[in-house]
Amino acid sequence: MKTRSFALRCAAVGCALAVALPGRTAAAIDDQQFNELKDLVTKLSQKIDKQDQRIEQLEKTHGQDAQVHSQDQKTHEQDQQKIQELEQKLGETQKTISDVQQKAAMAVPAEPLPRVPLDEATVNHNFSILGDAEFQYAKTSGQHGTFLLADFAPIFLYRGGDKVLFEAGFDFILQNNAPGSSGRTTTVNLSFAQLDYLMNDYVTLAAGNLLLPLGTYSERSAGWLNKIPDDPLPRGLVPGSGVGAELRGAVPLGPAGKMLNYTVYGVNGPSSADGTGNASALDLGGNVGLRSDNAIANLHGNPSGGARVGLFMPFRPHYDVELGLSGQSGEWDDAGQHLWSAAVADASLHLGANFEVKGEYIHSWYGSDDLGEISPNGWWVQAGYKVAGLNLDLPLINNLEFVNRYDTMHDGLGTRTRRYTLGYIYYLSNTLLFEGDYEFFRSTDPTQRNRFVFQLSYGF
Amino acid sequence: MKNISPIRPFKSRLRTALSLAVVSAALAPIALLTAEEADKQASKTEKPAEQKSEADSSKTKAKAPPKQLSGAELYSMHCNRCHPERYPTERTAAQWKTILLHMRVRANLPAEQSRTILKYLQDNSGR
Repeated sequence: MKTRSFALRCAAVGCALAVALPGRTAAAIDDQQFNELKDLVTKLSQKIDKQDQRIEQLEKTHGQDAQVHSQDQKTHEQDQQKIQELEQKLGETQKTISDVQQKAAMAVPAEPLPRVPLDEATVNHNFSILGDAEFQYAKTSGQHGTFLLADFAPIFLYRGGDKVLFEAGFDFILQNNAPGSSGRTTTVNLSFAQLDYLMNDYVTLAAGNLLLPLGTYSERSAGWLNKIPDDPLPRGLVPGSGVGAELRGAVPLGPAGKMLNYTVYGVNGPSSADGTGNASALDLGGNVGLRSDNAIANLHGNPSGGARVGLFMPFRPHYDVELGLSGQSGEWDDAGQHLWSAAVADASLHLGANFEVKGEYIHSWYGSDDLGEISPNGWWVQAGYKVAGLNLDLPLINNLEFVNRYDTMHDGLGTRTRRYTLGYIYYLSNTLLFEGDYEFFRSTDPTQRNRFVFQLSYGF
Repeated sequence: MKNISPIRPFKSRLRTALSLAVVSAALAPIALLTAEEADKQASKTEKPAEQKSEADSSKTKAKAPPKQLSGAELYSMHCNRCHPERYPTERTAAQWKTILLHMRVRANLPAEQSRTILKYLQDNSGR
């Protein structure tokens, strides 16, 4: 730069001299012309200096720009490097994640399938517990009043599919131990245990310890279903259950609800408690197929057979009548010399939702070694009226039902008992009943005495 | 053994049976009357519809098929005979299926009626 400016100065002086020297040869220049020339040279020099300065600045700026550019270049290169490193790291991380997922999938069992809500209506098996419990306060004439757990009777139902049901009912009873012994005894009775198989729409096979269809009381009125705390007297003349098998079903008679129902069964049947044919040895429910010496055998040679036929005629809902006829017959003593037979006629009538009447006539007869032919018999009739039928606008009264029953029994050996029962039911709910009754006895049996009973009965 | 004259106990039994029959006979009309009152009130709302339907049916003169009983009707016919009414909401659908199987056996219900009652209970159980 300095060289260039120096060269430019020299060129400028040379030009000035060249202009001045030919004039010497031609003629001599005066002072004014020389001063003007000198000024011109000075101005040109100044201009050249300024140009030099500008050039210097530009070169400086260019230099700085070049430096910045170089730095930018460097920074860009560094950024590129960083990006590459990050990309590499990302790749490695993704690979690691994928490895871990694979390992986790192999090590941990597959997630259980999401739960699909069950369609309750089609659940193919189900276990349910029904039943009832009764708690009483009772006062018998000539005895102290007492509280007692009258019965706890659970029913187990197991449905395995659409056609198979296993059902079993128990009775748990508390009883004092014999005088002289302290404590109490808990008695568990298997009231029934049967396997039901629906062969088709008209025939069901049931086998096991069956509730016998002698009348309808055993199957439909026992326990919580009974509106009076105790059983009708003549029910003691027939067995409530028996071990055997039955075919049962119903045939509709038209679309209005009329139907014929039937049961045909075979059971081991009544037996002799001591093996003899004496009248007092008759045992209605003890022949279950497994003897006390562990022998598997009927106590006598042939089982008993029985059947019930019923006709149900509804007029409309809550208006209906049902009539039934049933019977059973078979050997009872070990020797097979005597038959035990029973016939039961049952009837029920509903007139509206508030009134019902039902009853049974039971006649049995059996031969014996000592007393010949014995013919116990009896009947009972029970009526109930719900006060709600009077349409009184009294909420407490509307939950009340009056019940009365007359039952009588002759044991065929000279003992006759008649009983009048007046009672009520207060429906605390559809399943919780508060019952009370007073029983008037007329009997040749001195142990049968008037009593009143209050009962809290719960069906579940 | 006490010698009981067969005539005397028969007379007293007859007396008892008659008095019971009288009591039942007295209660039965009351029950019928109160039930019919309730039915009359229910039928008042149905009568205009019935009259209209009677007019329609007389035009066609065709014999309508006999009306099948609904689940609710069968339920009220059968399920109050032996025990107080149990509400459909008391049990789940699966439990009703089990219970109806038990009731079909116990009460000797026809299969088709049993299925209709079951459907009614399941549809109204709400669970």
